[in-house]
Amino acid sequence: MKKTIAVLLGVLMLTGLFLVANASEPGKLLIWADDTRAPIMLNVAKQFTEVYGVEVEVQEIESGETRGQLATAGPAGEGPDILIGAHDWLGELILNGLIEPIILEPATIAEFNPVAIDAFKWGNLLYGVPYATENVALIRNTDLVPEVPATFEELLTVAAALTDLEAGEYGFLIQEPDPYHTFALYSAGGGYVFGKDANGVLDPCDIGLDNAGSIAGATILDQMVKDGIEIAGAGYGEVTGAFNASNLGMMIGGPWTLSDIKANSINYGVSAIPPINGNAPGVFVGVQGFMISSFSENKVLANLFIKDFLISTDVMLGLYIEGDRPPAYLPALAFLAGNEDIQGFAAAAATAIPMPKIAEMASVWDAWIGALELIVNQEQDPATAMQEAADEIRALLGCE
Amino acid sequence: MIWRYIAKHSLKILFLGVLCAVSVYVFVFLIAKGLYIPSVMSLIGAGFITYIFLSEKRYPIRWLIPGLLFLAVMVVYPIGYTLVSSFTNVGTGHMLSKDQAIDHLLDRSYTPDNAIAYTYTAFADTSGDLALILEGADQMILYVDGRATDIAWSDPRLVDEDSDGTTDRFGDYSRLTILQTVQRLSVIEDYRIEYKGTTIGLENLNEFRTRAPLYVYDEEAETMKDLQTGIVYTAREGIFTAPDGEEIYPGYKAGIGLRNFVKLVTNPQISGPFAKVFLWTFIYATLTVLLNFALGLFTAILLNDPFMRFRTIYRVLAMIPYALPAFITILVWRGMLNVHFGVINHMLVALFGSGAHIPWLQNAMWAKVSVLLVNLWLGYPYMMLISLGALQSIPASLYEAARVDGATWWQRFWKITLPLLLMPLAPLLIGAFAFNFNNFTLIYLLTEGGPAIAGASTPAGATDILISYTYNLAFAGEHGNQLGLAAAVSVMIFLIVATISAINFRMTGTLEELSKNV
Amino acid sequence: MYSRHTLLGSVWRHGIVLLLCVFSVFPALWIASASFNATNNMQLQQLIPPNPSLAHYRELFTSDRYQYATWLLNSLKISLLTSVFTVIMAGLGAYAFSRFRFKGRRVGLLGLLLIQMFPQMLAIVAIFLLILSLGDIFPWAGLNTHTGLLLVYLGGAMGFNTWLMKGYFDTIPRSLEESAKVDGATPFQAFYLIILPLARPILATIFVLSFITAYSELFIATILLRSNSQFTLAVGMNLLISNRYDNRWGMFAAGALIAAIPFLIVFIIAQRSLVSGLTRGSVKE
Repeated sequence: MKKTIAVLLGVLMLTGLFLVANASEPGKLLIWADDTRAPIMLNVAKQFTEVYGVEVEVQEIESGETRGQLATAGPAGEGPDILIGAHDWLGELILNGLIEPIILEPATIAEFNPVAIDAFKWGNLLYGVPYATENVALIRNTDLVPEVPATFEELLTVAAALTDLEAGEYGFLIQEPDPYHTFALYSAGGGYVFGKDANGVLDPCDIGLDNAGSIAGATILDQMVKDGIEIAGAGYGEVTGAFNASNLGMMIGGPWTLSDIKANSINYGVSAIPPINGNAPGVFVGVQGFMISSFSENKVLANLFIKDFLISTDVMLGLYIEGDRPPAYLPALAFLAGNEDIQGFAAAAATAIPMPKIAEMASVWDAWIGALELIVNQEQDPATAMQEAADEIRALLGCE
Repeated sequence: MIWRYIAKHSLKILFLGVLCAVSVYVFVFLIAKGLYIPSVMSLIGAGFITYIFLSEKRYPIRWLIPGLLFLAVMVVYPIGYTLVSSFTNVGTGHMLSKDQAIDHLLDRSYTPDNAIAYTYTAFADTSGDLALILEGADQMILYVDGRATDIAWSDPRLVDEDSDGTTDRFGDYSRLTILQTVQRLSVIEDYRIEYKGTTIGLENLNEFRTRAPLYVYDEEAETMKDLQTGIVYTAREGIFTAPDGEEIYPGYKAGIGLRNFVKLVTNPQISGPFAKVFLWTFIYATLTVLLNFALGLFTAILLNDPFMRFRTIYRVLAMIPYALPAFITILVWRGMLNVHFGVINHMLVALFGSGAHIPWLQNAMWAKVSVLLVNLWLGYPYMMLISLGALQSIPASLYEAARVDGATWWQRFWKITLPLLLMPLAPLLIGAFAFNFNNFTLIYLLTEGGPAIAGASTPAGATDILISYTYNLAFAGEHGNQLGLAAAVSVMIFLIVATISAINFRMTGTLEELSKNV
Repeated sequence: MYSRHTLLGSVWRHGIVLLLCVFSVFPALWIASASFNATNNMQLQQLIPPNPSLAHYRELFTSDRYQYATWLLNSLKISLLTSVFTVIMAGLGAYAFSRFRFKGRRVGLLGLLLIQMFPQMLAIVAIFLLILSLGDIFPWAGLNTHTGLLLVYLGGAMGFNTWLMKGYFDTIPRSLEESAKVDGATPFQAFYLIILPLARPILATIFVLSFITAYSELFIATILLRSNSQFTLAVGMNLLISNRYDNRWGMFAAGALIAAIPFLIVFIIAQRSLVSGLTRGSVKE
C-alpha cells in the first residue's frame, strides 16, 4: 500500500512534464536521391529556395533501396515528394499506387527523346520526367582492334585471332551470365522477352525467350564458348579488369565503364554492335527519371520544382557530368553533339528496346541467368536451356 | 512513515515514476494516432515492469528487465509482425491498407468534356486563413471557409488600392504574392471546391480546373464504380475486380488465412526441390559448425599457451577475417576462386601444370566445397574467440591433478577440456547451426545459389539453401515481391530450425544441465 | 594444462600457427593491394600493384561525397555504446539466470535461444515502422538518429551473450557470494564487487563480439539512416560498391582496411583479459 501510493505520487508529479505539443511542418519538399545525384539536387534545391522561399531537403537513399523504402515510408507519411529512379520500376510502383502521373505541355514533351518519354508512359499517362538514357554498345580497344568489324561474324574472327587463353589475352568477352548484356544476340534473330498484345501493351504470357530468334542467339553464345572465345567466370569485374589492362580487344559495355577505361589510359572506341546474320541487334535501353510520390503533400509544388527548375539544359548537363549517361533532354544532348562516346551509344541504341517495365519482369531474371550459366558451363545445349527457362517463367507467372 | 520509505527507495521510485509518466504519455499519443494495439501494449509493458520492481517475490526478474525490454520491442515485436504478415497477401500490388487504397482511388480524377479552367488569386487574412477568387470564362467564384459562392466584379469587398488593375484586398484578406502562394501550395492543392455540381481542384501553380472524380465508393457493398465507364468493381481479397476479371491497382493488404502456407506446401516449384535443398542446407550447416569449431578450438588451445611467444600477434592476425566486413571479403574470395581469372587457380596451375584448373564456382561439388571453405575462413575466428573465453573458466588445478595422475595431453583434452567447454559452448554451437542454416548473405554473395542445375524445372541452384531459394521464389513470383509468402517462408524455416535445435538440445543434455541446477 | 615447449614442439606449433595466419591474412593482402592500386580493379593478378599510390586513401579523407572520417567516428560511437550496454544488460541477466531460481527460468533461457533463430529478413519493415513511430513521440530517437539505431541494436543484447556469460558464471563457485552475504552485501553488491572482476575474460569476449556485430551491421543501419553525415561506416562504404556497375573498389578496399584497425585495437585490449590459468584463488576449494 505504501509503495503504491509512493509510486502514484511520482506518476502525478512527472506526467505534466511530458505533455508537450507536437509542432506541425509547413510545406516543404523532400527529395530522395542516391549519393551521386544528391549534390546536384542540393544545388537545384538551393536555387528553388532562393526564388520561392520554400525549404527543400534532400535525403540520400541508395538506389536499390528506393522502391522498398518508398512502399513502407510513403504510406506511413515519411516518404519523399520527388524520387529518382529507372523506368522499369514503373510497373511495380504503379501497382503499389506509389507514384502520380505528371502533366507536361506538349511543347515540353517534344524537348525530350521520344524513346525516353515512351519508357516513362503507362497507358496514356506520363509518370516520370526522364533525364538520362543508358544502353550498352560495342567498346573496343582501338590499339588492338583498329577498325570496327563490319559484321558480327567478322568480329568473332578478329576475336579468335586475338585470343590466347594461356597468356590471359582475350579477343571478345560478353560478361556472363548476364541477360542484359547478352540480349543483343537474342534480339538480332527476333528474340524478345514479352510480346505485345493487340493494344500494344506487354503481354506477360507471351514469352519469346524460346522462340527461333532467341535460340539462335543462345546458339551463337554456345558456339563462342566452344570456340574458346567466351569463357566461364567472366563477370563484370573480370571483363572490365581485362579490358582496362589491355588484355581484352572488345567487350559489350555501357557508359558506366568509361571512367575506368579513361583512368587506365586505354584508347577506345564506342560503336553499335555489328549486324548478326544481317540483322541489327537491338539492345535494352534503360531510362532514368524523376517521379512524384502519390503520398506527397506537395504535389503541385513538386511539379513546379520539376518543370521550372529541373527541366533546363544546365541541370541536365550537370546530371550528365555526374553520371556519364547520355541526356534524354534533347537540348542538352545537342550540346554534346561532338562527343564521340555519346554518338557511339546513340548509334547502338538506334534499334533499342526499352527494358520491360511490367512487374512480371522480376520473374524472368533468375531463370534466364540459370540458362545462360548452363550454356556457358557447357552443361546443356542452348535450345533446351532456353526452352526450360521459358517454361520455368511461364510456371512462375501462372501462364498456361 | 511513507516519507522514510520514499527516501530510502528514492531511486527506484523516481525510476518507476518516470516510467509510468512516460507510458501514460505514450499511451495517449498512440491512441490519438489511432494505434490502439501498440498503446495498450505500452501500458501493459509499463505495468508489468512496475509490478516486477514492487514485488519481492519477483526480485530476480528485475535483473532481466533491461534486456527483456529491448528484446520484447526490437526482436519479439518484429517476429509478431512477420507472423501476422504471413497470413496476408502483402506484396507488390497489395502494399497499402484498405483505407489508403480507397483514398488513392477516390483521388483519381479525369477531366470531363465540359471542363473549365480558372485562373485564381489567393488572399489571406491576419490569422492566416485563405480566401480564393477564381476567374473562369464567364464567372468568378469566391472560395472562403470551405464554401464556394458567386461573386461579381463590382463586389465592394474587392478593393484595388493602387489602381493598377489588380485586386489588392478582399474584405479583411490581402492578396498574396506568387511567393506566398507557392508557400501555401500544399494547403491549396487539397481544396476540392464544390460549385454548382462540379468539383474544382488545383491543376498547377496557375490554374484550377473542373475535375470529375473517377471513382465512387459504396462502403456497404464494398464496390468501386468507375464513373467514366460505368463498370462496377467489387472488393475481392485485396483488390477491386470487375466482373470480367479486370483489376484496379493499387490493391490493398488483405488477410488470406493459411493460403501462403498451403502454397508453400503444395506449390510444385517449392516442394519439388525441397528435399534436395533441405538436405544440402542441413549438411552444410552441420559441417560448417563442426569444421569451424574444430579449427577455432585448435587455434584457441595453441594460442592460449602461456609459453607461446608472439601469442598476441598471432591472435590479432587470426582475427583479421572477423575484422573485415563480410561483404568485401566474400567478394574477394569470389574473385580469388574465379576459374580463369582467380589467383588460386593461377597458383595451382603454376604448381601442378595447366590441367589443375578447378572449376570452383562452376561445378556443383566444388561450389559446395567453396562455400564450406569460405565459411571456414569467415567463421573460425569467432569460434576461436569464444573458445578462448570459455577456456579461461577451466581451473588450472584440474589439469594439475590430472597430470599428477599421469594423464596424457590427449586424455586431458578429451576428459577435461572438451566436456567443460561444451557446457557453456553447446548452446552457441547450436546457435551457430541456426545462424548458418539461414546464412543468406554468404550464399548470395559467393555463389548466388548457383551453379544452375540442368534439367531442373525450378531455378534452384546447387548451393541454394532453403532460405535463399524460397525467398527468391517469393520475390520472383507473379507481380514481383510477395512479402506475405516470404513471411510464411520465415515462419516455416523457423519451425524447422527450432525443431532441429530442440532435438539437439535434448541430445547434448543442455536442458538436463538446466534441470540439474534448478 | 601447458608445459614448456621442446624445440620440436616450438617448431611445429609456430609452423601451424603461421600457416593459419597466412590462411587468414591472404585475402586481406589482396584487399590491401587493391587499395594501393590506382585503378579500380578488384580482379588483380599480382600482389604488388604496378603503380602503387596512396590516391584512394587520400580521397577517403578529402571527398565531399564520401565523408569517411565522419562515418568512422559514427561507427565507433555506436559500436562502443552498444558493446558497453550489451555487456551490462547481458551480464545482469546472466547473473540472474545463473544464481537465482525463479519461475520461468527454464522457459526463459530456452526462449532466448529459440527467438534468435527466427529469420529476421522481413523484420526490417517492422523495425522501420517502429522507429518511425518512436520518432513521432521522441524526436531524438527516431529515423536518422543514432539513438534509434542504438536502441535497435540493444534488442540483441540478451541472447547468446547471456548464455555464454551464464555458462561462465556457473563455473564460479558460490562460496564467494555466500561469504559476502554473511558480511551483509546485497546480491547486487556481490555481483558488482566480486563476480564481475572474476568474469573479466567473458566480459571481454562479449564486448568484442557485440562491438564487431554493431560495427559491421548493414541492413538496419541502411534503412534507418538517411543523411550522409549520420551514416555508419558500413552504410557509407556500401555506397561505394552499391551500383551494379560503377564500383569504387580502390576506395572501398582502403576504407575496409582502415576500418579494421579500431576493431583490432579493441580486440588487442580486450584479449589481454583472455589470460590462461587465471587462478581464482580467493577462496580455498
